[in-house]
Amino acid sequence: MEIKVYSTPTCPYCIQAKKYLESKNVQFQEFDVSTDREAASEMIDKSGQRGVPVIDVNGEIIIGFDKGRLDSLIS
Amino acid sequence: MYDVIIIGKGPAGISASLYTVRANLKTLVIGKNDSSLWKAEKIENYYGFSQVIRGQDLLEEGEKQATRLGAEILNDKVISIEGNEHFEILTSDGKFAAKAVLIATGQPLKKVRVENLELFEGKGVSYCSTCDGFFYNNLKVGVLGYSDYALHEAIELEAFTKDITIYTNGKELEINSQFEKDVERFNVVDKQVYRIDGGEFLQKIFFKDGTSEDIDGLFVAYESPSSADFAKKLGIVTDNNAITVDSDQRTNIPGVFAAGDCTGGFKQISTAVGQGAVAGKKIIEYVRNL
Repeated sequence: MEIKVYSTPTCPYCIQAKKYLESKNVQFQEFDVSTDREAASEMIDKSGQRGVPVIDVNGEIIIGFDKGRLDSLIS
Repeated sequence: MYDVIIIGKGPAGISASLYTVRANLKTLVIGKNDSSLWKAEKIENYYGFSQVIRGQDLLEEGEKQATRLGAEILNDKVISIEGNEHFEILTSDGKFAAKAVLIATGQPLKKVRVENLELFEGKGVSYCSTCDGFFYNNLKVGVLGYSDYALHEAIELEAFTKDITIYTNGKELEINSQFEKDVERFNVVDKQVYRIDGGEFLQKIFFKDGTSEDIDGLFVAYESPSSADFAKKLGIVTDNNAITVDSDQRTNIPGVFAAGDCTGGFKQISTAVGQGAVAGKKIIEYVRNL
């Protein structure tokens, strides 16, 4: 399973989403879009959003910390 | 530092305070008398009253009860909550710290109607400068609001851009004296807003007088923050704007509890009082175990 988390250091939902994935022992790649311009534009292309977090689970895009959707995609 | 700060002085908040203060927790309750319960003329389905009671009377009695037991009650608006291990609560008049927080602010209401506002959520419209401010580095952003809450959001956005306009939507600015000097740093437009529009992302804001302005981002901070706004700032899990809690009224953030209408479900005085009691008990346990 390939999971990418696009986040910024100050975003509270990003912190919670990452903590949640860690609590489930799920590995993920993290991109700080506040410093990584390439990742930021990749995130906007994928999601059409100017907001974080955006989570890419095997190409399925989750906008925000949507725990229910995240659960269904990582289970 | 307070052991607990309770935001909201309705049935849930006051009920919780009765428990925390009787357990010798230093308790501060912050809220305003602006709820729908305050305005309710007839309450007939709450236990213990043989005669019809007015909402205002019930709330005033609750406040007196909490005060008699030792709770401090502050008639003020909370602008923001920050922190993790302990919490900083900013109000219009001051700043307070607490080990635990109970959000009991009632049902979040839609406060402002602007055409296309929802359409551009995440595409220029944001409700959280901390979360999304970065995307507007050196761009033109607006804050929709007229109170200390709006000004606080504008101040937070200064970390990203200097081109910030406060759109009051036809209202006069209501800024507390502690922030008066800060207002001078921002453009203020007091026209009524009726529509926003753009392409893939937000581009324009339109006013009722027929004029418009280009804009890249619009942060909504209208009136005072609701439970849903606090949730966004802290990363609290919500479902349809209702704060998700477990059976102990705990949110996903340690030390942050929620009770009453802001948690959704059966929105009644009796359920709010019950949830407040559970929250009070669990806050006592939480603070004692720190």
